[in-house]
Amino acid sequence: MIQFRSVTKKYKNDNYALKNINLDIQSGEFVFVVGASGAGKSTLMKLLYNEERPTSGTVTIGGINIANLSNDKVPNLRRCMGIIFQDYKLLNNLSVYDNVAYVIRTLGISSKEISARVLGALKIVGLFDKMRATPAELSGGEQQRVGIARAIVNGPPLVIADEPTGNLDPKNSMEIMQILDQINQRGITVIVSTHDNAMVDYFRKRVITLDNGEIVRDIQAGTYE
Amino acid sequence: MSNPKAEIKKQVKKHIPKDWLCELRILYRLSMETVNGIRRTGLGNFVIITTLAAILTIFGAFFRTALTMSSFAHELGSVLEISVYLKDNANAIVSKNSIQAIPHVVSVNVIPRANSWADLRREMDLPDMNNPLPDTLHVKVDAPENIEPVFNSVKKMSAVEDMSYAQDVAKKIEALNQIVNTITIFVLIIMCVLTITIINNTIQLVIQARKEEIEIMRLMGVSNWYIRFPLIMQGAFYGFTGALVALIPIHFVELGLNNMHEFFMVPLPLYTQQFVVLTMFAIGTLFGATGSFLCIKKHLQV
Ligand SMILES: Nc1ncnc2c1ncn2[C@@H]1O[C@H](COP(=O)(O)OP(=O)(O)OP(=O)(O)O)[C@@H](O)[C@H]1O
Ligand SMILES: [Mg+2]
Repeated sequence: MIQFRSVTKKYKNDNYALKNINLDIQSGEFVFVVGASGAGKSTLMKLLYNEERPTSGTVTIGGINIANLSNDKVPNLRRCMGIIFQDYKLLNNLSVYDNVAYVIRTLGISSKEISARVLGALKIVGLFDKMRATPAELSGGEQQRVGIARAIVNGPPLVIADEPTGNLDPKNSMEIMQILDQINQRGITVIVSTHDNAMVDYFRKRVITLDNGEIVRDIQAGTYE
Repeated sequence: MSNPKAEIKKQVKKHIPKDWLCELRILYRLSMETVNGIRRTGLGNFVIITTLAAILTIFGAFFRTALTMSSFAHELGSVLEISVYLKDNANAIVSKNSIQAIPHVVSVNVIPRANSWADLRREMDLPDMNNPLPDTLHVKVDAPENIEPVFNSVKKMSAVEDMSYAQDVAKKIEALNQIVNTITIFVLIIMCVLTITIINNTIQLVIQARKEEIEIMRLMGVSNWYIRFPLIMQGAFYGFTGALVALIPIHFVELGLNNMHEFFMVPLPLYTQQFVVLTMFAIGTLFGATGSFLCIKKHLQV
């Protein structure tokens, strides 16, 4: 489903965030991307959702090379995936329901279908009873669950989470990871970057280790180190 | 089935094709986004709209005045008559005959001083006094370009005290009109620049305030035009509303000018007022949208 071929990413200040990355991720996989701070995890994720473009090499998703996608196609690409952030990135003036519904509303879907999809997503993350609350009224764990509901509401084949538990305590982190695991069990490809070795060790998924912009380890059912 | 409103809704929906329904919903969403954006600008809205209304009023007033002046000049320019005022001792009939001999003169009408005086006294309600008016001849000429030669020939006659013709006045009005036209164009240019600048700044503030939100929308895959459109509509809204508010002062300008037209019995070209108002709306809305568009191009890299 996803191929990185000799991908190099150099930021403007001339340091290489990624060097010659070759990587294949199959449809339906659950992948942890780990590594020290500054190793290039976020950069790898940003290449996937086209927030950054590779300096050289190709990134292919579902057969389409997104390395030189035209600007007006980027939103289409992003609607085909769910993106989850460390800082949740919720719209603070909207309710939980409206946050989750926002993007599919822009597509002209009927309100009946919107509500079916939103409620379905909220059920998966267990926030059915808080859908009228605003993000400020929620705990960090709950806010991240809203983030997940928003990511899956459009039924994407791929979910990308960049340190989704970075701001959460172990208990909430475990809940979030379990939800992501459940999503993966529905057949959605999930890519999670994390610092959290306990979580990686617990779930025993494929682990890709980055160091200094290079893949130094890539094993199935692996541990953090 | 029991709810007739829902039933009607269903009936209506059945007749709208599916993708149309989708576009309509998007349009509805975009309108809501626009309304939200305007609402969140709060009191700033009044400042912007008032300023734009003032600018549009100035433009509208100049434009309207220019139109009135050009219709005055046009009306007077088409009067093919020369008024000839005779000396006290001159014989009106003799003068009439000699003027009639001049080429291009169509007719000469004698207005005895007694008649003119009676008319004037009736109109102005003057007290009894010695008639100060001369005998007057109204000389009709066949074409506008022949007025001057005829004028010059008549002027040479010894019986003529003074003369005037409408074209003379028309020329002066026309010259003035040129000035007013130039000012109107200047005002138009200044107005455009001001409108675009004001809207530009406003939308820039809106974008600044919603930077994070727009960033999130972008990351979530909301299309570029969906983010842009409400901002452009907001700019257009300010221009449109400014024109709407400007209708009130422009109405008084219109009343004043209309009174002038009535007094001088110069008919106004058809739809003048509508034309001015339409121009104000078009310019306000267009430049509002343009200002917003330019701002988006500069500050919203999507
Ligand atoms: N926008 C940017 N401009 C310049 N350099 C950048 C930019 N973003 C990241 N970098 C650099 O690229 C390298 C990789 O950064 P990246 O954010 O991918 O690391 P990371 O593995 O996500 O780290 P962390 O665990 O702290 O989030 C770092 O050296 C960083 O300084
Ligand atoms: Mg990072």
